[in-house]
Amino acid sequence: MDPSALIPTPDTLQVPWGWFQLLLIITLFLHLVLMNVMLGSGIIAFVNHFRAPEESNPLCHAISRKLPFAIAFTVNFGIAPLLFLQVLYGHFMYTSSVLMANFWISVIALLIAGYYMAYIYNYKYDSLGGSRVFVTGFSVTALLIIGFFMSNNFTMMQRPDTWVRYFENPTGLLLNLGDPTLFPRYLHFMTAAVAIGGLSIALYYEYLRQRGDETARRWVRHGCRWFGTATLINFPFGFWFFDSLPDYVVNVKSFTGILIALFVLTAVVLGIFSIIFSYLGRVMGVLYTALPTVFVMILVRDLVRAAYLKPYFSVSDLTVEPQYSPLFLFLLFFIGGLVLVGWMLKLAWQAFDNKEVQS
Amino acid sequence: MNYPVWQLDAAAGGLLIAMMAVFHVYISHFAVGGGLFLVLTEMKGIRENNQSVIDFVRKHTKFFLLLTMVAGGMTGVGIWFTISLLNPAATSKLIHIFVFAWAIEWVFFAAEIISLFIYYYTFGRMDNRNHVIIGWIYFGCAWMSLFVINGIIDFMLTPGAWIENNNFWSGYFNPTFWPALFFRSFLAFMLAGLYGFLTATNLKESGLRTKMVRYCAIWLIVPFVLFLGSAWWYKASLPLELQVLIFERMPEIRPFLKGFSVFGPALMLGGIIMAIKMPQAVNRSVAAVMLIIGLMYMGSFEFIREAGRRPYIIRDFMYSTSILKQDIDKVRKNGLLQEAKWVNNRVISDDTRLETGREIFNILCLPCHSIGGPLNNIKKLTRNYTPQGLDAKISGIHRFSPYMPPFAGTPDERRALAYYIAFGLNNRKDRKEDVIIKTIPDDTIPEFNGEADKYVLLAWSDMGMKSVTDASNTWMILPPGVTLNAQLIERGETPDVIVDGVTITYEIEGDFADPDQRVDFWKNAQALYGRAIAAGTGLSGNGLSGTMEPEGEGFSATLLPVFPYTTDNRYMPYPTFTITARNSDDEVIATARVVASTATEMSCKTCHGGLWKVDDRAGISDVTAGNVLETHDRISGTNLQGLAQSGMPVLCNRCHGDPSQNAPGNREHLNLSAAIHGFHANFLAERGAAYCVLCHPADTGGATRAYRGIHRALGLNCTYCHGEIEDHAISLLKAELENGKSRAAVLLKNIRPANFASIDEIVPRKPWINEPDCLNCHVDFQVPEKDTTFNQWTDGGENLYRNRTDASGRLRCAACHNSPHSIYPAENPYNSNRDALQPLQYQNQPYPIGSNFNCKVCHTIDMDEEMHHGNMLREFRNQ
Repeated sequence: MDPSALIPTPDTLQVPWGWFQLLLIITLFLHLVLMNVMLGSGIIAFVNHFRAPEESNPLCHAISRKLPFAIAFTVNFGIAPLLFLQVLYGHFMYTSSVLMANFWISVIALLIAGYYMAYIYNYKYDSLGGSRVFVTGFSVTALLIIGFFMSNNFTMMQRPDTWVRYFENPTGLLLNLGDPTLFPRYLHFMTAAVAIGGLSIALYYEYLRQRGDETARRWVRHGCRWFGTATLINFPFGFWFFDSLPDYVVNVKSFTGILIALFVLTAVVLGIFSIIFSYLGRVMGVLYTALPTVFVMILVRDLVRAAYLKPYFSVSDLTVEPQYSPLFLFLLFFIGGLVLVGWMLKLAWQAFDNKEVQS
Repeated sequence: MNYPVWQLDAAAGGLLIAMMAVFHVYISHFAVGGGLFLVLTEMKGIRENNQSVIDFVRKHTKFFLLLTMVAGGMTGVGIWFTISLLNPAATSKLIHIFVFAWAIEWVFFAAEIISLFIYYYTFGRMDNRNHVIIGWIYFGCAWMSLFVINGIIDFMLTPGAWIENNNFWSGYFNPTFWPALFFRSFLAFMLAGLYGFLTATNLKESGLRTKMVRYCAIWLIVPFVLFLGSAWWYKASLPLELQVLIFERMPEIRPFLKGFSVFGPALMLGGIIMAIKMPQAVNRSVAAVMLIIGLMYMGSFEFIREAGRRPYIIRDFMYSTSILKQDIDKVRKNGLLQEAKWVNNRVISDDTRLETGREIFNILCLPCHSIGGPLNNIKKLTRNYTPQGLDAKISGIHRFSPYMPPFAGTPDERRALAYYIAFGLNNRKDRKEDVIIKTIPDDTIPEFNGEADKYVLLAWSDMGMKSVTDASNTWMILPPGVTLNAQLIERGETPDVIVDGVTITYEIEGDFADPDQRVDFWKNAQALYGRAIAAGTGLSGNGLSGTMEPEGEGFSATLLPVFPYTTDNRYMPYPTFTITARNSDDEVIATARVVASTATEMSCKTCHGGLWKVDDRAGISDVTAGNVLETHDRISGTNLQGLAQSGMPVLCNRCHGDPSQNAPGNREHLNLSAAIHGFHANFLAERGAAYCVLCHPADTGGATRAYRGIHRALGLNCTYCHGEIEDHAISLLKAELENGKSRAAVLLKNIRPANFASIDEIVPRKPWINEPDCLNCHVDFQVPEKDTTFNQWTDGGENLYRNRTDASGRLRCAACHNSPHSIYPAENPYNSNRDALQPLQYQNQPYPIGSNFNCKVCHTIDMDEEMHHGNMLREFRNQ
């Protein structure tokens, strides 16, 4: 069966695709950074507990207080890229979601479970004692499984040639395990999460250190070590991932292929620098190289998807029936929202900084 | 159609979205109302300078945060996941229309989360004024997120002008937007109080507890009137047809409507009870129960809203099957299996019938029907139907159940679907072969001596087949009553029709002489007819043996209560009578046997369930009959089943007049024939003669095979004279329309003529009176030049074939040619003699009396004039 016969017809856009592409990249970047912080710090906390279950170190305590926030914002910032993804690629993504429906819907249950576990870790940190390793282990496992399902969905959506398996298994139990890119991709993303998690720890304690807390120095180093080691390990995973991509996707004869090669190269260079900075303990240096690395890698991810789908579809194929007013309204609310949030954060900062007591 | 279907079984029908969505909205509306509750209660605590109130707010905020952020927020995402899986086409459409509305909502979500975190974590750290402002910001953002999603939800039910103009704002600010917004807002405030009970009842100090519980009760009770007002406004904003559909026409919704009207007052009562000072344990239990009632209250509303949208997912635009309204005609023409992308078997064959049936089911039925699950279980709904019946039902269901879409496929696909449901799901064991007729080994022909006998006695029944609805415990459409006619001819060169000085008696064969032992008709006669009918006698008082009454140039015995059941309870629809003519000296001068065809083979059970009542081939069981009334009650709003169950079986002709029973009906309702044909034509159209036999006992594989005369042998089926059921129904309905019966217009609306360009071309007719006639084709008694004669009716009853005479005006046509539908030569499935008793007796041939130059039968010599009717002196054409 010709795979393109199975590809659903997409719906029309209200504004040119470039708008959605821009919004998608920006919000995905934010989501993935937050996700990395959430998952990475969760894993680091787990490993710390695993190594010394009876001990309680201030890092884990800090993570326990922040993990629920990280989850909340990760999910909230996941909404936006999922929305824009469905506008541009919905006809692929809904399809792959249906093919793995049972797994996809279980993400919600896993998320609720992992999220409540994080709150238990938070509120019952002291009383949990040695059980902290189980609570963090459970939470982190749930999130890792979610990540695995994400990798499956987002690889399967770009493989219409695998969709015909539906006819043997229409009950929503398909995954994309036969895809050679699945495991390297998953490992690459998850390892990156650990790295960024380490970075976030280093940044937080660097901030505390600059405010005068000398005990923070130790944890800055801790975070940097996690970042450096994870990023180092991530290089072979990355090369494995790159190598597993089909030839036609990384074909340097095409414009997309050239861009991919260019961005990967950039990321490699930035990545090497970030590792160097991390071993030097230069947290800001790590930040200024790691975040652009992540951003560039997200561009690569998007280009790879476009290349995969090129035989079947490209976003410029989508028809536009222009209606700009909703977009303008959104931008208005977005700016208004930023202002409101900024103002609220300022108030909150003042409240914590000055430790104001209510009058 | 565009997308693959997630093949579910028991969990289908929308169960997943129902669970996810009701759970989410119950919490999310609390998240809105609770936001106002938090900030107002904090302000109350500040105003009253009461730290314990503020502590309560802080505790409640923690509970609030844990519940709404995790379970509430995640299930909101869960709804999104679920709808993408259950109806990706609709989800994609909504996303593409409302992407920026959702993007705006996301901004409010983010602000909500941030403000709620700040509100909780700066309790006691931020000054009162700013903290309260943060609280108001939280509520404002929460309410705005409700505002935004409200537009999209209401769009699905009332898309308004968007259908024409495709404009975002028309779709967003649609007809139910504002009433629904107020409705949900007031509900949110009520829920704030309801959830407030949970934390308030946990307060240890009883004085504070009572105070805060009462405070929550105010939150629950006060908005209720405004909530009801906005509910009324919401209902009034629905298009009228939607109001009728939701509040009158959907059986599925009724329990939820009931729930909605009961749980609301229950909550109010609960709120009042909670205000009474009581021990903490009781308080807590009542609070928990109230929370469950609240869930059922909200769930009832959401079920009503969702179900009321059926058969659409986006009303007037996209069906729940994901098929666009504008594409339905194309899909019906080209076939679902050709138009859908995700289909494995595009061709229906005997090998693939079950698989293709399943694929069709997945696309067209799974969105609303589970297989063995709690929502619209298809097995339960279709268990009464044979595959044939199901095929009929599916083809017309959308006309009387407006929450069903028209079938989106070809007739072959519809049959495959029916086959799959009947055999694949319901494991039916319907008979697939012909009925094995228990034939009669020999059938004696009375003797006739052509030389010596002085008389020829001819006898026939009015109808070639008298159908009886053997369901008298429940209802009566066609009562028993064969009318026998006889004419006695004195033989000679100029024969005479004798009426005076002779007595004609009739007697049924012994095996059928005690029908009161076989059927309940006489037990029910009082209830049906308002008078007792002696056992074994008919509606005109005649028994199964007696003396015929003179009538015109012959004799008749009216409405003999013949039943086709033998003493050993076999079904045999061709019992015979022996007719004896005696002179004034009481000597027998002539004898004849005549068949009194009566059938009870009516396959109502094809759609109405149940089994055959008698001999596995005839009669209407109580189960089947009950279902008929249940259906009548459901569609026509009557209570007939209740009547029948309390011992009052229904006489249909009380409302639905019938000329054949001299019943005028009640002037308002359609006559029986117009009603039955007019209604069922919606389901049985486009199938030619094949489905006539579901009611009329002429199935050539059945136990009666009533249509058995020469015309059947020549290859004409019912529709050649009577038309297809569509045209048949239209002719009856048009006459009723002319009689001022509005229901006829309703039924006519959905019936398309089979053989005419428009219904204007169809000539109205009264049943039993305006009928097709032989001479329409046999013009001047010559060889017919056409073989169809629909639309040409006899003027009145006296012009019917069975009532007419020959050119002399004395000899009845049927005396020589036999009853309609068994015109000589006729083939009887039980014995070849049975429908040729008199032709064989008098001329040793099965053809009409006197045909093939056999004038001698009556005239004793050959004749050379065609006196009786033209073109009769010739060899019989069809030997």
